[in-house]
Amino acid sequence: MEPSRSAAIQLEALSRHFGEVKAVHALSLEVREGELFGLVGPDGAGKTTLLRTLAGLLSPSEGSGMVAGFDLEENPEKVKKQIGYMAQQFGLYAELNVVENLRFFADLFDVPKNEISGRMDSLLEFANLTEFKRRRADQLSGGMQKKLALACCLIHEPNILLLDEPTTGVDPISRREFWHILGELHLSGTTIVVSTPYMDEADRCSRVGLMYQGEMIRCATPADIRGALSSEMLVLIVEEDQDLSTILGEVNGIHEVQIYGDAYHLLVDDAARRKREIARNLRRKKIKIKDLFASMPKMEQAFISLVKRQE
Amino acid sequence: MSIRHLMAVIRKEISHIIRDRYTLFLVLFSPTLLLVLMAYALSVDLKNIPIAVLDHDRSQLSGQFVGSITAGDDLDLFTFAEDLDEVEYLLESGDIKAAVIIAPDFSTKIRAGEGVPLQIIIDGTEPESGGFAVDQIGLRAEEFVTEKVFGGGQLGVQAQTIELVVLPWFNPSLKSRNDLIPGLLSIVLGLPAMLVALTISHEREHGTLEQLLATPVSRWEILLGKMTPYLIVGMANVVMIPILAIVWFGVPFNGSFGQFFILSAIFMFSILGMGLVVGVFMRTQSAALALSFLLIFFPGFFLTGIFFPIVSMPEIMRMESLAMPGTHYGIITRGVFLTGVGIEVLWPYVIMLFGLGVMFSFVAGLFFKKKLD
Repeated sequence: MEPSRSAAIQLEALSRHFGEVKAVHALSLEVREGELFGLVGPDGAGKTTLLRTLAGLLSPSEGSGMVAGFDLEENPEKVKKQIGYMAQQFGLYAELNVVENLRFFADLFDVPKNEISGRMDSLLEFANLTEFKRRRADQLSGGMQKKLALACCLIHEPNILLLDEPTTGVDPISRREFWHILGELHLSGTTIVVSTPYMDEADRCSRVGLMYQGEMIRCATPADIRGALSSEMLVLIVEEDQDLSTILGEVNGIHEVQIYGDAYHLLVDDAARRKREIARNLRRKKIKIKDLFASMPKMEQAFISLVKRQE
Repeated sequence: MSIRHLMAVIRKEISHIIRDRYTLFLVLFSPTLLLVLMAYALSVDLKNIPIAVLDHDRSQLSGQFVGSITAGDDLDLFTFAEDLDEVEYLLESGDIKAAVIIAPDFSTKIRAGEGVPLQIIIDGTEPESGGFAVDQIGLRAEEFVTEKVFGGGQLGVQAQTIELVVLPWFNPSLKSRNDLIPGLLSIVLGLPAMLVALTISHEREHGTLEQLLATPVSRWEILLGKMTPYLIVGMANVVMIPILAIVWFGVPFNGSFGQFFILSAIFMFSILGMGLVVGVFMRTQSAALALSFLLIFFPGFFLTGIFFPIVSMPEIMRMESLAMPGTHYGIITRGVFLTGVGIEVLWPYVIMLFGLGVMFSFVAGLFFKKKLD
């Protein structure tokens, strides 16, 4: 990150409680201008509450936050003018067509009238929706609805974009297309905070924050998060399906076992050394090894491991 | 208040009404349909009530008597019954609403100038038509005796009258349709207010409200933008209903139509404000529907004095009925329709209506936060 860039979002010990439930608890965070910040964490970790608070829709219970230079407590309406917020269940107006939905948001965000049609054309082009511009929102496919929702959030050219699981329930191709758009926005300098349940998406962010029970337990680049495992990974596949837990339990240095279909993903302290030991133990038990190799831990393994450590 | 924001919300809301044909039908015609339905169901002008006669006398005089009570178009002679069992059967099957039983000594006693017992059995489950039948038969019997007996020159004979006590227990039929229809207006025009309450909770349920609240639009722009289209469709009903009342039901319209239109607009503002309050406080559509029935629809029946006189209410209910826009509008409509008075007489009610509208809108705006918490 270039040090000259200032903070688009700055949170200091921000909490949002619902009665006894601490949905977001004493969370401090700085997102710099132009960052593509990914927000991950298990369901109920507080991602949606955090994004709604950033969007000025929920008042902080404690602590303070600045978004786009305005205080969330004092000036939520000024924050709303500066940002684009896409709720998890984006409510497009079903009876309005693509262009009418865009126009509605252009009016509410006071987009200069002479600029509306130009911006609409480029957004439709950008989102590949030009040929559907007269179609009613409820007759678009799920992926197209998400893209239209994004376009509605972009019509006033906000500097900050807050997206709450924008690709949940969307097919992989539309998902890739959506992220392609986000990539271009990122390159054009827009600050983006996006929550996602998909680890491959988290991998595409410039920085990732991992939330757990209302707290930000880790906040780093994807590479650093993977590295934070301080372990190496072995992938093991055996010929016949069987329970290997006792055999693997006899080997030292295995931090964690995660099962993916036929494959055992083993997080170990020293891949080369443990690989030899595991192979020897399995041979002794006459279990045939189909595959056993060292691999780079992915976001997914890192995520599960980090969450498991919390539990 | 930005005109651009307001117009955007109004345009969106109108598209919602127009493009969903059910909504469109509901807002445009349901008040009118409801009024027609209620005007017929609660109508007083009972006609062709089927009755049976059990004539034990079987004389020429009793035959004439039966002929005279069924002469008008209010009572229809369904059949002559043979015995009481048949009368019972006919009443149970619903073929008749009342039966007249003529004693064996009917003609003898009439001629002798003695009291004539006339037994009338009515269907107690339908006290309205039954009571009406008793009324009519009593009236005719009196006429018949007066004509036959006094007309026949036999002096000194007292006509036996049946003293009827009709209890006005939930008996709207004591009022004429002329009185009823202007009063019903204040109930049926509550429908657009229910719909406005529903649109707010609809947006809440569908997540569009969250998105709307995240934009710079102000809460007043949202509320006024939602109210305006329903005010327009409400006013379409304000034009349709009097035309229907005058042309179809023959209700007199003695006041000024221009004034009626303006006063109705103030009522719509008031009742829509109430709808906004319901929509703002209720989280789901079903809750909004239930509360608008409780607050907007039912009070129209019970508290506005259309069916039950307000003076007979306990003090606390009287206070509540003053807070119901329908109470004041009911007085205004009957005044304009029947008495032909205008604002020079009705102004206190107009002020009340306007005040209530301002109060409701203010409460709605105050509690409608641009937040999710």
